[in-house]
Amino acid sequence: MNCVLDGLLVYIWAELRNWASIVAKLNSAYYFILVPIRHGTLSTLFPTTRRSPSSPEQNPRRLRSTSPTISLAFLGFDSLGFYRATFIRSSIASGNRNLIQNVMAAQVPREWTGIQQFPVATQNKLHEILGKLKLENASTLTILLMGKGGVGKSSTLNSILGERVATVSAFQSEGLRPMMCSRTRAGFTLNIIDTPGLVEGGYVNEQAIEIIKRFLLNKTIDVLLYVDRLDAYRVDNLDKQVIKAITDTFGKRIWQRSIVVLTHAQLSPPDGLSYDEFFTRRSETLLKCIRMGARIKMQEFEGFILDSPIPVALVENSGRCNTNSDGEKILPSGIAWIPNLVEVVTTVSAKGSKPITVDQKLIEGPNPNERGKFFIPLILAFQYFFIIKGIQRTIKRDIETEKRPAWETWASQKADRF
Amino acid sequence: MALLSPTRFLQIHTSAVPRRRKPSPSVACSAENPDLDLSPARSSIPSLPAAPSDRKSNLAVFASATAGVCAASGGGFLFHFSSPPPPSGGGIGGGGGGWGWGSDGGGFWNNVFSPLPASASEDDQVSGVEWDSHGLPANIIVQLSKLSGLKRYKISEILFFDRRRSSTVVGTEDSFFEMVSLRPGGVYTKVQLQKELESLATCGMFERVDLDCKTKADGTLALTVSFVESTWQGAESFQCINVGLMQQSKQVEMDLDMTDKEKLEYIRMQERDYRRRIERSRSCLLPEPVQNEVVSMLRDQGKVTARLLQRIRDRVQRWYHDEGYACAQVVNFGNLNTRQVVCEVVEGDITQLSVQFLDKLGNVCEGNTQLAVIHRELPNQLRPGHVFNIEAGKQALRNINSLSLFSNIEVNPRPDEKSEGGIIVEIKLKELEQKSAEVSTEWSIAPGNFGRPTLTSIQPGGTVSFEHRNINGLNRSIVGSVTSSNLINPQDDLSFKIDYVHPYVDGVTNPRNRTFRASCFNSRKLSPVFTGGPGADEVPPVWIDRAGIKANITENFTRQSKFTYGLVMEEISTRDETSSVCTHGVRALPSGGLSMDGPPTTLSGTGTDRMVFAQANITRDNTRFINGAVVGQRDVFQLDQGLGIGSNYPFFNRHQLSSTRFIQLRSVEEGAGKLPPPILVMHGHYGGCVGDLPSYDAFTLGGPYSVRGYNMGELGACRNILELAAELRVPIRNTYIYSFIEHGTDLGSSKDVKGNPTEFFRRVGHGSSYGAGVKLGMVRAEYAVDNNSGTGAIFFRFGERF
Repeated sequence: MNCVLDGLLVYIWAELRNWASIVAKLNSAYYFILVPIRHGTLSTLFPTTRRSPSSPEQNPRRLRSTSPTISLAFLGFDSLGFYRATFIRSSIASGNRNLIQNVMAAQVPREWTGIQQFPVATQNKLHEILGKLKLENASTLTILLMGKGGVGKSSTLNSILGERVATVSAFQSEGLRPMMCSRTRAGFTLNIIDTPGLVEGGYVNEQAIEIIKRFLLNKTIDVLLYVDRLDAYRVDNLDKQVIKAITDTFGKRIWQRSIVVLTHAQLSPPDGLSYDEFFTRRSETLLKCIRMGARIKMQEFEGFILDSPIPVALVENSGRCNTNSDGEKILPSGIAWIPNLVEVVTTVSAKGSKPITVDQKLIEGPNPNERGKFFIPLILAFQYFFIIKGIQRTIKRDIETEKRPAWETWASQKADRF
Repeated sequence: MALLSPTRFLQIHTSAVPRRRKPSPSVACSAENPDLDLSPARSSIPSLPAAPSDRKSNLAVFASATAGVCAASGGGFLFHFSSPPPPSGGGIGGGGGGWGWGSDGGGFWNNVFSPLPASASEDDQVSGVEWDSHGLPANIIVQLSKLSGLKRYKISEILFFDRRRSSTVVGTEDSFFEMVSLRPGGVYTKVQLQKELESLATCGMFERVDLDCKTKADGTLALTVSFVESTWQGAESFQCINVGLMQQSKQVEMDLDMTDKEKLEYIRMQERDYRRRIERSRSCLLPEPVQNEVVSMLRDQGKVTARLLQRIRDRVQRWYHDEGYACAQVVNFGNLNTRQVVCEVVEGDITQLSVQFLDKLGNVCEGNTQLAVIHRELPNQLRPGHVFNIEAGKQALRNINSLSLFSNIEVNPRPDEKSEGGIIVEIKLKELEQKSAEVSTEWSIAPGNFGRPTLTSIQPGGTVSFEHRNINGLNRSIVGSVTSSNLINPQDDLSFKIDYVHPYVDGVTNPRNRTFRASCFNSRKLSPVFTGGPGADEVPPVWIDRAGIKANITENFTRQSKFTYGLVMEEISTRDETSSVCTHGVRALPSGGLSMDGPPTTLSGTGTDRMVFAQANITRDNTRFINGAVVGQRDVFQLDQGLGIGSNYPFFNRHQLSSTRFIQLRSVEEGAGKLPPPILVMHGHYGGCVGDLPSYDAFTLGGPYSVRGYNMGELGACRNILELAAELRVPIRNTYIYSFIEHGTDLGSSKDVKGNPTEFFRRVGHGSSYGAGVKLGMVRAEYAVDNNSGTGAIFFRFGERF
């Protein structure tokens, strides 16, 4: 189902167990209405401004009872006026509410207009980089932003694109929805996927991971940007768990295609430390944390470092960021960070290793229930011949060597004499 | 004369029980109660007649606990071999022994007790009563015959005077002392004193014995037993023979007016007879070391004296009684005056084994139980041809009791009238009712407001059960029970169980012991898989309901080691708090909502699974108790093999192996009341599953039987599990204290359980703990520190961890 809707981001939502869970899963920041649509088309699509969350709950039941096969759309629009719609195709006729739908996403790539807002020097550099990529026969580049909440993922997205794509507010986290922004420029498509923060209530939010996983289904990730703040002084167990969660989701391989992005780069380091020193220490501890969280062995990690280290890039999203003479945003070291980041991204994506394609198998992982099933008869035979028989033999030995009370032995000795 | 009669027999009374027994009804030839009542409830049965202090402590305890303890039948058990009263009369001349054998024509051995109970009972009656003064001047020696037959004399002192050594024997520990039934302070008549003298004279210990009375100023008498101890030529070797069940050799009356030649002939014949007797007799159980000990006793002594013989007798009998041969008695010493002393022992050979059923009134009746069922429980040592051993009797009692078919079990050795020295083992059994039904109700009490106990509900709960035992007399049984916590509305939660047990699958006479069991069951348990980690919000519980049928065969190798294999067919449904079927685990979100997308509870995803699988369990257990502490090894392997029959065609192999070692750290002396040894317990448990693994079959970590210091399932639910534990137990008084260290890990297999319940409920997946505790009766009180949070807590648990 390829839905092309101008100005709409369309998601197809998968695996709906019941209507209540839809409401639970969709963030309350959006207002939804439920629209019956004919199979595969969007004939009657009309937004309403009703703010009743109860309506989607009531509607489907009615619909289910009347129409045999329908597709449903959740329409939502957030406060910015970005329309989002979720389509549910449920084979209600068959009565199976647990049907898992293939999820496809349609994305409306737009012209990258934001690039024009960059200073000319930056624009030139970016064009140069993209041109280089095109030469290498790559027409798209997908970047995934992940990290804890409030570290500046969405801001980074906005900064890179030069548009206010994602809402950013200082004190509020945005919704649970991941979002993908696609921009084309000169025949090259840049996809950046912004994801919700992975931490909730001091734990890794598996629900968010679940949503991200489903969102990423059938997408190919070229580069992962693991975002954290430069001005956070220490790493703790939670960081490790976030790393672990990412590793569990995409596999260890993802770290070969990842960049550690440290935001809030324009800071004054603590007393007695130079900026460079602080940066080195911070990135070192974070890399160590990644190594431990992802359970990459030391040697393996060394290997990583040697032939393709996890690069660390600095980012400063603030409007107060210093600029150079060309008007480019620069880091304390004087490097313009946007072209630098894009360059690092391209070098990582151009590396030999394959991009990560998120498919059903990767999301669900190998089915542990199927693993080794083939060997069960062998295992059973082993257990019978070696364990059960072995224990039986020791029991026999026990019986022979059992310390019998003296009366039994005297009597048997006597019996022997006769 | 002594040289001329080399085969002179010493007659020694046949029991080591002191001659002066307290008379009690059961002692007098044990006519009413010759029983050896063995109780499985008591570990030690103080019935060995050799122990004089146990005279009144042999209790007959019924096997059934409800029956209580029946009255004590004092006196232990005494084997009374009926024989004529000791012959009076002189024998063949006093040269060799005080009492000659040849002429009496009586039993080979005589019961010197015969006159005793009578005199003793008289003695008891008299002792409380007044006594008469001797009415004679003080400090004169009076012959026994000179005493008045009408007076009752008080004996204030008894002295022994060895004429050969011309010394007075002092000390009550002298072996002669127990020969005399008279005690200082007792009151006796002349007849009694004469009888005493007579019995002393006939016991064979003395060549000559006399009683002299010395009058005292206070009107009492001082008695002097002056004696010449019998002695024989020194011997160098020792032989012990079992003369039980042997024909008594007929003694030809020796004429007093035989010629010397005839006498010689006679003696030679006797010698020949005796040699033949030794040849015919069976060898004794007496082991080499004890025999050697006796030989060295003989060597040390040089001359064989009566006292030496008595000591030998005591030694031999002590060995027998220590080994549990309670019926064994030294009856005679033969072949005296040769280089070899022959000790004749009646060991107590079992001639017959009889099983009797008693009705409620104690009358013999026909039992429902087939005899083969009982016979297979009896140890071989209790069958005819073996020597009766009290331990074998106890074993039989325990074995029969474990059938739980009888309310009262007695195992009694009884002297065989038909063959002398033989024992008939009588087993008397009272059968339990075959059918029974029972209804019981209960009200549950739970802590309510302010911790006060309150009734959880006004509804009564209860159990209805029925039993049909011992079908066909082959110990087959059907037991069923239905339990509900709400009898008024039992459909809410009803648990039922019906069991059919069919022992002796291979036939009741086949030594292979296999039992078939079929049962129909249901159960409801809280799943530890759906439990929150430490500090997490409460997880809504998931109940696992199982209902199904099970059939298996158990083969018992030993009492503890067994192999069970069978099939299970069951339906598992998972329910939430409201008893409605649920399909996924639920977790409360920080926002207050519920996340419904937890791990699936069942394989099928519908909340209900049906499956058939094979099950096997092999247990090797050679643990035993040393002074109450368990020592040994225990290995258990359990296997559940899915057959692909059921919802989603479950095919799996779920296995666990656990191994426990109880290592004794110091060797101790075994015996009642002794301190148990300190023990180190090492425990390892591995579990794993290949193939389909529904959440309810996942292994859970944490809990009193997994890793102490955590709640059930607090550490995780996983596909593979490894637990290691060590515990050190140190005995203190009659209990022990212990310290332990435990570790459990999921081996990284939590993610291999569908939905990863470990992570979903925020559990760690591994953990260790250490702590210490004390055992108080059934309860273990322990303080355990869990290493994940570093905090400790006190726990009270029932039962053993291992």
